[in-house]
Amino acid sequence: MAATLTPPGMIDITLDGRSVRVPADTTVFDAARMNGITIPTLCHLQNQTPVGVCRLCVVDTGARVLAASCVRPVEPGMKVVTNSEKVLGARKTLLELMMSDHPSPCARQQNSGDCELETLAKAAGASQPRFAKRTVARGKDDSSLAIAVDHDACILCDRCIRGCDEVKSNFVLGRMGKSYSAGIAFDLNSPMGDSTCVSCGECMVSCPTGALTNKSVVGTAIVVGPGAQGFEAEDLLQIPVFKGVSGTFLELNRGAIVKRRFRKGDVICREGEFGSTAFYILEGKAKVSISTPIAHVKTQGGAKGLFKRLSSTLVAREEDKREEEVRDRTIPIDASVDLAYGNPVAELGPGDLFGEMTCMNFYPRSAAVIAESDVVAFEMLRNVLDIMLKNKTFRGQLDQTYRRRALENHLRGVPMFADLSPDFIEHLKESVELQRFAPGQTIALQGDPADSFYLVRIGFVKISENYPGGEMVLAYLSRGDYFGEIGLLGGGVRTAACTALDHVELVRISGEDFRDMVARFPSVRTGLEAVAAERRAANQQRMQMVHNVPIDQFLWQGLMEAQSLLILDLQNCTRCDACVNACADAHDGITRLIRDGLRFDQYLVATSCRQCRDPLCMVGCPVGSIRRRNSLEVIIEDWCIGCGLCAQNCPYGNINLHPFEVMVDDPERAGRKKPAIKQKATSCDLCTHLKEPSCVYACPHDAAHRVDPRTFFAEMLGQGPAK
Amino acid sequence: MSKRTSLSVVVCRGFSTPLRARRGAVIFDDLRAIQLRYGFLPKAELEGLSQRNQTPLYQIHSVASFYPHFHLAPPPKAEIRVCADMSCHLNGACELRADLERRFANSRPEEVQIRDVSCLGRCDHAPAISINDHIFTVVTAAHAELIARSAIRGDDIHEPHPEQARIACKADPYGEDEKYGVVRKLIPSKAWDDVLAQLKAAELKGMGGAGFPTSMKWDLVRKQPDPVKYVVCNADESEPGTIKDRFIMTNLPHLLIEGMIIAGLVTGAKRGIVYIRHEYHLQEEILGEEIRRCYRSGLLGKKILGSDLDFDLEVFVSPGGYICGEESALIEAIEGHRAEPRNKPPFPGQIGLWQKPTVINNVETFINVPQILARSVDWFVAQGAGGSRGLKFVGVSGHVARPGIFEVSMGVPMRDVIFNHAGGVRGGRQLKSFAPSGPSSGYLPASMIDVRLDFKALAEAGSMLGSGAIVVCDDTTCMLDMALNAVRFYRNESCGKCVPCRVGSQKMADMLVRWTQGGVPESQYRADLSLLGELSQAMSLTSICGLGQIAPAPIQSVLKHFRAEVDAHVLRSQCPSGICFTPAARAGEAQRLGIRP
Repeated sequence: MAATLTPPGMIDITLDGRSVRVPADTTVFDAARMNGITIPTLCHLQNQTPVGVCRLCVVDTGARVLAASCVRPVEPGMKVVTNSEKVLGARKTLLELMMSDHPSPCARQQNSGDCELETLAKAAGASQPRFAKRTVARGKDDSSLAIAVDHDACILCDRCIRGCDEVKSNFVLGRMGKSYSAGIAFDLNSPMGDSTCVSCGECMVSCPTGALTNKSVVGTAIVVGPGAQGFEAEDLLQIPVFKGVSGTFLELNRGAIVKRRFRKGDVICREGEFGSTAFYILEGKAKVSISTPIAHVKTQGGAKGLFKRLSSTLVAREEDKREEEVRDRTIPIDASVDLAYGNPVAELGPGDLFGEMTCMNFYPRSAAVIAESDVVAFEMLRNVLDIMLKNKTFRGQLDQTYRRRALENHLRGVPMFADLSPDFIEHLKESVELQRFAPGQTIALQGDPADSFYLVRIGFVKISENYPGGEMVLAYLSRGDYFGEIGLLGGGVRTAACTALDHVELVRISGEDFRDMVARFPSVRTGLEAVAAERRAANQQRMQMVHNVPIDQFLWQGLMEAQSLLILDLQNCTRCDACVNACADAHDGITRLIRDGLRFDQYLVATSCRQCRDPLCMVGCPVGSIRRRNSLEVIIEDWCIGCGLCAQNCPYGNINLHPFEVMVDDPERAGRKKPAIKQKATSCDLCTHLKEPSCVYACPHDAAHRVDPRTFFAEMLGQGPAK
Repeated sequence: MSKRTSLSVVVCRGFSTPLRARRGAVIFDDLRAIQLRYGFLPKAELEGLSQRNQTPLYQIHSVASFYPHFHLAPPPKAEIRVCADMSCHLNGACELRADLERRFANSRPEEVQIRDVSCLGRCDHAPAISINDHIFTVVTAAHAELIARSAIRGDDIHEPHPEQARIACKADPYGEDEKYGVVRKLIPSKAWDDVLAQLKAAELKGMGGAGFPTSMKWDLVRKQPDPVKYVVCNADESEPGTIKDRFIMTNLPHLLIEGMIIAGLVTGAKRGIVYIRHEYHLQEEILGEEIRRCYRSGLLGKKILGSDLDFDLEVFVSPGGYICGEESALIEAIEGHRAEPRNKPPFPGQIGLWQKPTVINNVETFINVPQILARSVDWFVAQGAGGSRGLKFVGVSGHVARPGIFEVSMGVPMRDVIFNHAGGVRGGRQLKSFAPSGPSSGYLPASMIDVRLDFKALAEAGSMLGSGAIVVCDDTTCMLDMALNAVRFYRNESCGKCVPCRVGSQKMADMLVRWTQGGVPESQYRADLSLLGELSQAMSLTSICGLGQIAPAPIQSVLKHFRAEVDAHVLRSQCPSGICFTPAARAGEAQRLGIRP
């Protein structure tokens, strides 16, 4: 009837009894919206392709079944009813179905009171679902730094999936499984934090319920004050690294990034301090240095008689070269440069990021950074750094800076690479791959084909070997360490498992480049082979121990962790504390021995360094100054900054901090020195300077012994050591 | 080791090479290759695949986790799956499974896993099981144990292919040398309009269940301006009780191919695909052979029979799942996606496979076309009984003396089919009820045995002709148990895309489980009945596809025809058939609770 009057591109339909003219290519949902009728929906968002899966927007078009209005195109003469009893009843049932599985109030409802499902259910009187509840929980995923996932609150509306794949083209999120057990999954159903998610936040702002919510971390805001200027979300979106990140997401993380101005001479951060932020320099130059003396604690004293005038002093390796000390080793710090042993100072400039480890893993600051000119920098918390690090452009820029400035130092820092020719290093700069791993992620499995060689750039890598009934940690590798050569030089398979302990970044040299390198530079080959042989031998020796001990009987007391124990025979011990006093006397009044610990049969296993199988003390050292020698003894390198993390990490209290008074630059008066207390970590050194450990020597009752548990206890248990 | 892997691979072949290059996103071939090598899909391999194909990881996982025949974890040496649906359920599948669980109670999960599986399409030889994707029919627990033990030892196991002599069918208009007579005549005449006119005059309807007029469907596709079109044959019959297409493909493969060629010629489609369920290994071989024969004799390929017309045909083996029988889900599967039904409109006739106009018909629909064209519309009309038209293949299973597939006149009374063709109720027991077409048709009581096998007659009886999957229940059957069995089937086979079907089918199953346990207070039962009514209404009205829309049918039909039995069950814990509330039933129930892994 009105056909002749209808302008081209428009059609006439009837909406709830009202004749309306709407664009011919629109949907019923949009036609209703244009005419002031709001149809409820959960799966439809205006900026996404409609999928029609929640079915809440159904309307009656006179057909056998109702039509989902978000996906239903209008047709000329269509008669649509959006609010009949039939329609409202069906919607209410749908809400009731979803609510019966909904953890009400969900995280979104608790945080901001705007869970769309709960709001619609309340309006429809479906808040108290009559259906049976879900019996098996689908679980939560807490692995992402920025976003909390609660699969139980997920209604599979597909909004996050379209946000990720369609809106942001990040292609991380999808549906998995089928029927009632269907759910959302990141990549191959990885935990979100381990997935290729770039933390753009689009999924979270698309989510109608508490399935994907912003994670509130402790201290989400950096205090804004003079010299620290906060940002609005809109300002942030102007910065290239935040392009593509959801504005709402940035809004939620407001305060987690500030712009700071430092005047020349200002201290930006100090070594050893705990912190939670990273800095990105925009303008100006800064000096990064270590002010703690580069030296280790040396206990000197006579080897005879009682311990009259023993004293500990700080000595550098020029004066006291210890076993296996490597001359040219550089000091790794939490920035894109390494410091030289002899002159631990470097310069940072625009485009440099530092404090990444502190921010991501909460390790102490590894070095002091002082403004050399006026400096402008972003200071940011983990959520924001995570977003930035996952930004491909920023990532690329950081990687480029690293290749340009640090890779060469990094390679040269490994002594056996000193002979690499400049052209080969240039080649490597282009061909190496920079890889990142999330905490707990496997880098390589024991038995995997060995196809690459790795240098650790950031973080800690656990190298471990499996044996029946357990796992033996062979080493923790940190910045400047390398691994993978054994497999490449040897049988072509990984001999140990490599796992990221925390936020880890590696430089991967392909098997091809590696083979090229060892072919061209025979000295490199020799060096690597020597180290590989040493490592293999040491590993074998350790595994040997593991095999010879009745594991089950030892493990419960944790004694197996030890490879050398100080034991006190309680039948002889009179608790006179002579051993403790002797230890204190031997170490400037600071004992490294506490007469307390686990009991095993008649023996008390005293807490002095046990040289554990899983040396937790080595995890987290911001400058990589704690390692163990092939003898398994823990050694603190000269560049220890005294932050105390290793002492805190040792579960047995065996590492202590030893304060020294030293002269340092006085910031008030340039060029002048002032006294300051600097700490150095120490651990039981087995009194190597003495014939016998002082504690054992001092025991008047022959109760203190230092033993190797595998032989000592094996005998006691009636199982002599194998062979 | 390699033996085990080679078994699981038989399962899902995709296309033979011709289409590969055009299938961009299809990843089944790659997944299969990986599964062939490792026995499952290791993460590292999928990551490699993602790199090579530039396919996001999530896409690979969303597909691999959707289809039951991809293993994301190493499978056991013997994976025993017991068909849990209607006909097998009526023939002791529960007891079989319980017996097997006992026999393997001390086995480690790396050796044996026993699970339920949806209908394997062997309803006439119930109970059926699959071991490492090889199907064994009419099995006893002792026999199954023997096979599984040999699989655990690493021996090769083989699926028995029962000797199937070609059975002469009335539907076949041809003698041995006359095959493809219609196509031979049609090609020189190019009388496409005449074909449509004859199909219209014959009132040929879709035989897959919906009964949509075939001439209208073909005409719609014919009128689409797009030069690229497809013809797809839906040979994915997976509704419990449905076995007729298996029979047709075994005995009349040439009629299916001819029907598809005609569809291609009439609509202008140059490519056809037979989408066959992966459990039909034998039929896949038979069809493949017939297709190769047609290529050799110039009936398929470029310039058919020397004309300027092309038509290529190939077989696509489904990666599995009842939902793939839904036409738009089937298209999604061919495209390499999760088989999730599309929102309609648009219909496949407008936007179908790879966004092109597509004819999708059931196997039986296609074979009717050459029948009508080779003989005449009058012949077709005369084949029916009581005013109905044509012949119908039906599968009869459950408690009958001679389960099988029968070619009958459309319109014959159900009594004739069940009592004459299928030999009546087994063991001289009384007929209690029958489902004219699997769970989707609901259950009719014995009193309605004279209803005619016809679209209209069954619709008027509150049921449907569907796919001719007649399942017969004798007087030892608990109808509430049968309703729960059907709901579980829908719940397990729901694709999970839309809320009413995904969540509703689970909640409905939860409620019926509670009911079968009996002792429900009357007030609670009343509240449940009203809630069930609301739920059924919402599922039927708002689900995207037929699966969710029809899922309430079995329980609604049982409430309609067997209300007193349900009441006794729920309120008074009495099972009139005496099969529930026994210790054995309770044990079996405990086992089945929850979702299948």
